[in-house]
Amino acid sequence: MATHSESHAEHPHFHAPSHWEWSTAPTLIVLGIFFSIPLAFAGHFVYHNSLMTSVFAGLGVPVLLWGISQWVSEGINSPESHHHGLSKVGLPIFIVSEVWIFIGLFSAYWALRLMAAQWPPDGTPHIGTNLPIIMTILLVSSSATIHVAEEKLEEGDVGGMKTWLILTLLLGTVFLGCTLTEYSKLIGEGFVPSTNAYSTAFFSITGFHASHVLVGLVTFLCVLIPALSGKTNKTFLACASVYWHFVDIVWFFVVSQIYFW
Amino acid sequence: MKEWIFTTDHKRVGISYLVGSMAAFAVAGTMALLIRMEQFNPGPGITDNPHTYNTWLYFHGAAMILAFLIPGLTGFAANYFLPLMIGAPDVAFPRVNSFSVMLFWLAIVLALLNFVIPDPADIMWTGYPPYSVMTEGNTAWYVFVVHMMGFSSILGAINFLTTVIYMRAPGMGWNQLNVFVWGTVTAFVMQLIFIPALAAAVTLLLFDKYLGTHFFDPAAGGDVLLYQNIFWFYSHPAVYVILLPALGILFEIVATMSKNPVFNYKACIYGGFWGTTLLAGEVWIHHLYVSGMPDWLRIGMMVSTILISIPVGLMTISLWGTLYRGAITFNTGMMYASGALFFLLLGGLTGIPNAMTVVDLHIGETSFVHSHFHYVMAMLATFALIGGVYYWFPKMTGKYANEGIGKLGFWLNFIGVNVTMFPLMLIGPLGMPRRYYDYPMVPELAPMHHLATYGSLIVLLGMAITLINWITSAIAGEKAPLNPWGSKSLEWTHTDSPPGPGNFKGGTPVITEDWTPYNYGK
Ligand SMILES: [Cu+2]
Repeated sequence: MATHSESHAEHPHFHAPSHWEWSTAPTLIVLGIFFSIPLAFAGHFVYHNSLMTSVFAGLGVPVLLWGISQWVSEGINSPESHHHGLSKVGLPIFIVSEVWIFIGLFSAYWALRLMAAQWPPDGTPHIGTNLPIIMTILLVSSSATIHVAEEKLEEGDVGGMKTWLILTLLLGTVFLGCTLTEYSKLIGEGFVPSTNAYSTAFFSITGFHASHVLVGLVTFLCVLIPALSGKTNKTFLACASVYWHFVDIVWFFVVSQIYFW
Repeated sequence: MKEWIFTTDHKRVGISYLVGSMAAFAVAGTMALLIRMEQFNPGPGITDNPHTYNTWLYFHGAAMILAFLIPGLTGFAANYFLPLMIGAPDVAFPRVNSFSVMLFWLAIVLALLNFVIPDPADIMWTGYPPYSVMTEGNTAWYVFVVHMMGFSSILGAINFLTTVIYMRAPGMGWNQLNVFVWGTVTAFVMQLIFIPALAAAVTLLLFDKYLGTHFFDPAAGGDVLLYQNIFWFYSHPAVYVILLPALGILFEIVATMSKNPVFNYKACIYGGFWGTTLLAGEVWIHHLYVSGMPDWLRIGMMVSTILISIPVGLMTISLWGTLYRGAITFNTGMMYASGALFFLLLGGLTGIPNAMTVVDLHIGETSFVHSHFHYVMAMLATFALIGGVYYWFPKMTGKYANEGIGKLGFWLNFIGVNVTMFPLMLIGPLGMPRRYYDYPMVPELAPMHHLATYGSLIVLLGMAITLINWITSAIAGEKAPLNPWGSKSLEWTHTDSPPGPGNFKGGTPVITEDWTPYNYGK
């Protein structure tokens, strides 16, 4: 039979709160999403109304950032709670689902490519492979620098952690810069998403990966900004780092399938 | 008040899910009534605009599945009862949990705004291209509803899987978990893997419609069936995301009310629940029997689809075996469970002809299928959910729900749904197509449509009575003891009604080896 007991040696001790806990951060983020994604998108793409778009985006983005900063500060200021460290389990579970999104996108690409009469289809300009090689080097080195940042924090060297984190942020930003350069060159040559089946897959997959790079950079900022005032959280940095390695690994598939195949 | 709106407590988040999903049910149910009225006679009925009819169909399907059934089962029921059943003070990530429920509310608001915005979405819940790409309707709106619901579910999956793995009460082994916990775990494993496919499918739709890509445009090297493949890769398993937690609730009610341990527990969990999960991703192409596929693939898909009968059979045997020689208490919760068992039988058996390619080619686009999936998914899961609310009502409110009114509501609902759906099953093979606005080719079927429409009005009455019963009983019901049904499960034996913050006042319960939640001394 089950019995009551205050604590148990083999299991972590969970502190039951004696009051109802609450937080406004999730609601703020959701409100921010509401204005800056569905409403702003519909304003631009569906109803072609630029005033509507800018009003919604102007409302949504600040609220979204406010919500994120509130979430981060609540997380970083809260005492080590009963679920401390479980994020290191939760994040890989999230990555499983991310993997399936990419499997979906790549399957779509493979289906189009393998059923095509000729590849690349008409209208595809020469897509250089030098830039993707440079981008690969950037991303791989950023995976290394974030790992060093993690080790510095482990040693208690917050200053070193900040240095290596900033370096990682720079590498990631340059990576996104390369993407933009490449896009503008290709679009200049008339290769746009609607050109053919290859452009369809090219812009969708590289764009979707780039959006993940952006999310990774935002999580680094969420670690860096509190660190400037001396607040750090090892679990948080570890999660941001694991996510970044995942983004790095996906890039290998993007490079091999989109550029070199 | 802020402790209710901004709460991160799993029980209050659960109640928030219940309120939201019942609201979605009310609106989507109203759409069903409108659909039934329009179908009353051939020719234009209450609207002469087929597009209006399309938006009703769209909203009914999308909201019932994405905003009522899935959030009701994996949002409300899992949130409120799973942590209690495993002896946890809360879920692993309470703030993420609050984020999930807020995303769910956002999706509901978006879905409802569809009635207000110009050019509303009108693409069914399936959103098939090329129509969804070419329509004037706001396809993006539907895509964002799916994104919000999907993200909410994925966060839920992360939260609940982590909770079950790491936050079980000390000593609680895998074979000591409630069947409902397994139903939730397997549902979330599927959500985690398959929702991203749905998200990818609708995102590509968005790209095609608004950014000019050609994923689904055969004229430019795309493939229209690609969408159907990715979509059903999620949406067939979605049926099990609904079915498995619903069966989990049925197990809880049936075991408690018949005072029997779950029959064949291990076969039911590992063969039934996990077997279904394993097969869930290998059968989706049966939705393309009519759309077209190579012949050899038809045979393979027929076999894998029929194989699903094995795990489902195992779970059904366990349910009936748990009832065998039990001292059954037929209260309202148990009556809903019995109704759901009947739907499981009828819905399950009508699934077999659908799985047979040769038969399905003829009945696949008729109201036979429409009736089949309403029995096996919609009605079964709704009855399980309503039964669950009655079963756990004393836990959530500390009061009894009124039994007399509850049973009256049950009979109205049970008779109503059968009078609605059984005629549609009969007229399917006689030539009544699914989804159509009008049926000028089979006007002789009108009397059956009359019957079905009357049935839906009986359901309206039954559901109204049920909701009023819940509200009045929660406010002024008779006070209930802590464990009125004499259950052995932790949520009944170790917590207050309703449980306070942190759930277990005396600390986390410690589980001994011979404990099970169904320990009725047999
Ligand atoms: Cu299916």
